[in-house]
Amino acid sequence: MTTEELEKLLAEQPVSRLHRLARGRIHQHFRLGKRRLIETLLQHSSENRAGLESDLQALMQESPPPPPPPRRKAAPESTAPRPRQGAKPPTNQAEAEPAEPPVDLTAFLDGMGVPEPKPFVPDAWQEDALTSLATTDVIVSVPTGSGKTYVAIEATRRAIEAERTVIYTSPLKALSNTKFTEFSRLFGADRVGILTGDRQDNPQAPLLIMTTEILRNLLYDAAGGEIDVRLDTLGLVIMDESQYIADPERGVVWEETIIFCPAQAKLLLLSASIGNPQDIADWLTSIRPTPCHLIRHHRRSVPLRAGYLHPNGKLTPLFRSVGIPHGGGTPLHPEAKRLFAQYEEETLRPNR
Amino acid sequence: MPPSIHPVDLIGALRHKHLTPAIVFLTSRRACDDAMQAFERSQTTLPPARQDAIVSVFEQLVQQYPSIAEHPLMPVVQRVGVAAHHAGHLPSWKIAIEELMRQGCLDAVFATTTLAAGVDFPARTVVVTQSSVRKSRDFTDLTVGEIQQLAGRAGRRGKDLVGFAVVTPSPYIDLSVLTKGLTGQPEPIDSQFVISYPMVLNLLKAHPLDQIQAILARSFAQFQLNRRAETLESKLDQLHVQMKPYGPRVCTDWITQWQTFDHARKQKAHRVQVKRREPPELAARLHFLTPGRVVGLPKGRGIVLRQYRSKGQRSPTITVLRPGGAVTESPADAVTQVFDRTFDVAEAPVYPWVTPASLEDLARQASDLPVRMPALPILVQEEDEEGEIVQTLTDEFPCPTCPSRSACQKDHAGALRIRQDVHRHTKAIQALRTGLWHRFQNRAEVLQQFGYLTPTCHLTSEGEWARLIRIDHSLLITELIRADAFSGIEPQILAGIMATLSHDDDRPGAFPRISPGLASLLRQVRQLAESLAPHEDPPLLRADVAALAERWIGEPTLTWIGLCRTTTMAEGDIYRLLARTLEYLSQIHQLRNTHPGLADTAGKAIKNLRRGVLEELP
Repeated sequence: MTTEELEKLLAEQPVSRLHRLARGRIHQHFRLGKRRLIETLLQHSSENRAGLESDLQALMQESPPPPPPPRRKAAPESTAPRPRQGAKPPTNQAEAEPAEPPVDLTAFLDGMGVPEPKPFVPDAWQEDALTSLATTDVIVSVPTGSGKTYVAIEATRRAIEAERTVIYTSPLKALSNTKFTEFSRLFGADRVGILTGDRQDNPQAPLLIMTTEILRNLLYDAAGGEIDVRLDTLGLVIMDESQYIADPERGVVWEETIIFCPAQAKLLLLSASIGNPQDIADWLTSIRPTPCHLIRHHRRSVPLRAGYLHPNGKLTPLFRSVGIPHGGGTPLHPEAKRLFAQYEEETLRPNR
Repeated sequence: MPPSIHPVDLIGALRHKHLTPAIVFLTSRRACDDAMQAFERSQTTLPPARQDAIVSVFEQLVQQYPSIAEHPLMPVVQRVGVAAHHAGHLPSWKIAIEELMRQGCLDAVFATTTLAAGVDFPARTVVVTQSSVRKSRDFTDLTVGEIQQLAGRAGRRGKDLVGFAVVTPSPYIDLSVLTKGLTGQPEPIDSQFVISYPMVLNLLKAHPLDQIQAILARSFAQFQLNRRAETLESKLDQLHVQMKPYGPRVCTDWITQWQTFDHARKQKAHRVQVKRREPPELAARLHFLTPGRVVGLPKGRGIVLRQYRSKGQRSPTITVLRPGGAVTESPADAVTQVFDRTFDVAEAPVYPWVTPASLEDLARQASDLPVRMPALPILVQEEDEEGEIVQTLTDEFPCPTCPSRSACQKDHAGALRIRQDVHRHTKAIQALRTGLWHRFQNRAEVLQQFGYLTPTCHLTSEGEWARLIRIDHSLLITELIRADAFSGIEPQILAGIMATLSHDDDRPGAFPRISPGLASLLRQVRQLAESLAPHEDPPLLRADVAALAERWIGEPTLTWIGLCRTTTMAEGDIYRLLARTLEYLSQIHQLRNTHPGLADTAGKAIKNLRRGVLEELP
């Protein structure tokens, strides 16, 4: 390969590949523009041309050759009306990007509807949680709305059948009330009690609903020598929304409750998706008699899609794919991107 | 274009694409209420069948919660099929909206982002309009966890095949925060363990002091601190390995030894440099340029009368008596020769620096000087600075002559850095391991000082009842009780004080009147709170919320509507204030055994408080 050929080949490469090539060869290569980069690369590798060529070949094989540079020069955020409207098939768009073409609105909205009524079959993880709960503490960290309540209800049912007391705690009084209504409907009003700071409804019921603070106070009283029969027969403590342990003001109450929770009772911690459920599981394992079983996943039982609604009422998908992709650096749908750029242009500079 | 989509258009667009029912998360309560007003003014009307469905569900709810029967928003909700749901509403109204939503009667609910956890009802679609949320006066970006919590409400199990999270822009939205939130991993959570006074009392009630550290070690806080300590310890181990080649040398602690020596050397070098400005030949001569000495100058000879150094002058100057009797000044470095001849002089402090008799004598001598005179051989010492310093430091330090000197000099910088890291890490590890325990001890000391704990950390009789007050500002409350501030007061005044203690929200809400009794007691509480400030953060102590609670408890005939009319606070806020007051009062009510009178007053206040709306929910 002559110098001219190599130069030409380098000029065809995208800048990012040139930078990868320059890594380790040129000091502070990221400061250079494409032309300077090619010059310095050639200059630098004058004595080891073969090495540069082979590296270049390897890099080129790693990813397919880039398409010809896009010709579009007009700024997409210009307010001039564009001919494209609505859900146009994206195949004939000039924006050729290496990924598959972005999804169109029809495909995005397709599949909406009411599922066929079918008998409820618990998911494998729900069964797993219930089985493990017979012997150990369980932490469930799954996305919102994927069926944590089923685990709570079923675990409660089993514990009541085994003649154990169940305590269900929630962070908010409002949630306690909702659960009280829900559980009363399920188990019968006489088997569900609710405890608040000043009032006790049916306090000897096998299922007691309270805020976490109330349970903490019960546990302190018991530790202080006041005998509470309910704590002796306590078989299960369900802590809903247990990601509240990170609440700056009230998080400490969750810790106190867990620390002082009687050893014979099993703990069931229900939490929304958090980053480090394993840490909490490790912690429970370290302080509780049995190793804690962690159940976590990111799968939603009802799949979620993300859309973008422009203030003029136009709806487009937010991402290029139908569902929500995982991981950072996900490309937005070109239409959503364009509309949002247009929105920013118009709202941030109202005088123009 | 408007900065954000009009709420009616928004719901219209969603309806058009069959994306209802939807939960629309808005920035503030105000925004939710504005959206409702926009609907009120709009021409939107539901078909009669759906209106009937709403009415029938609503009527069932009214039986359970009578307070919502006359709710002013109800006709609007019925007509347009959307509702607002935020903390400014009564819990019963929120329950009603949630139930209507669950039954599928509503098209949309406008809710605030602040209380995403409290929105426990699903919809087909969730609309997100902002990327930040107001947290105690500041706007902070929503975390990944929060965004997923919001978006998670979309898609009802068994009712939807897919759920939709729709982003619609409003001013100050950051799309990247939202896309990151939708696609990313939720953040790890951290323990927020704080040691409060009631915690100390309750722990010490149940466990002896020597077990406390072990109990604190069981907290998630300590678990996480231990994790950090462990990573630091592994780093420390690496540092110890790096430290191996820098073990004891001629001196055991050679790093410190060298550091001190190096410091002294630098100081000395600095000092000497200042002193020695003259070139060596001049310096050698200076000693000889004393009064009475005969010196040779470029033009003729002379007798030195004095040597001095003027301020700002580079080199010393000499005053010379010339053979003709003239007294001249000359720089010392102009001296060409120093002769081996001196005369006795009687020095004087003023010009001409010698006594007149001496001057006369010298002048005569100067004119009679022989033509040739022997010059003094002056040895110029070409001694380098380093050598001289080493010479001086050898007396104090062994280093200059030490065999490992060069090794020490070479390794010193690296070894010192590693040693500093080791010190830093060791300290950090110690703090991580024992920090919680120290905080406990600090709290316990304060409690000893106030007499709730004995010096051996057992509960005193005061501590025995104080441990039952397990709320915020517990120290202030127990101190108030001990100061007899509450003895013989009316239930409504006690409730007023508890209300103001419990209320930590600075959202404005005006209330005009406060009774003189409550006002004077509140002044007393403020004073005490200020004096306790070093040990416990003082509460806001707002007079208007105190008056509100006082009014509700003091006037049993006052209706809820009547109470709401007297203030600009939102219904939901008043409810929450009274519910919190109830909680505080019931803690006081527990002190039946030790403070029967006070507990009785609290009981009366609770009884009066629990009426109307406040009785609907457990």
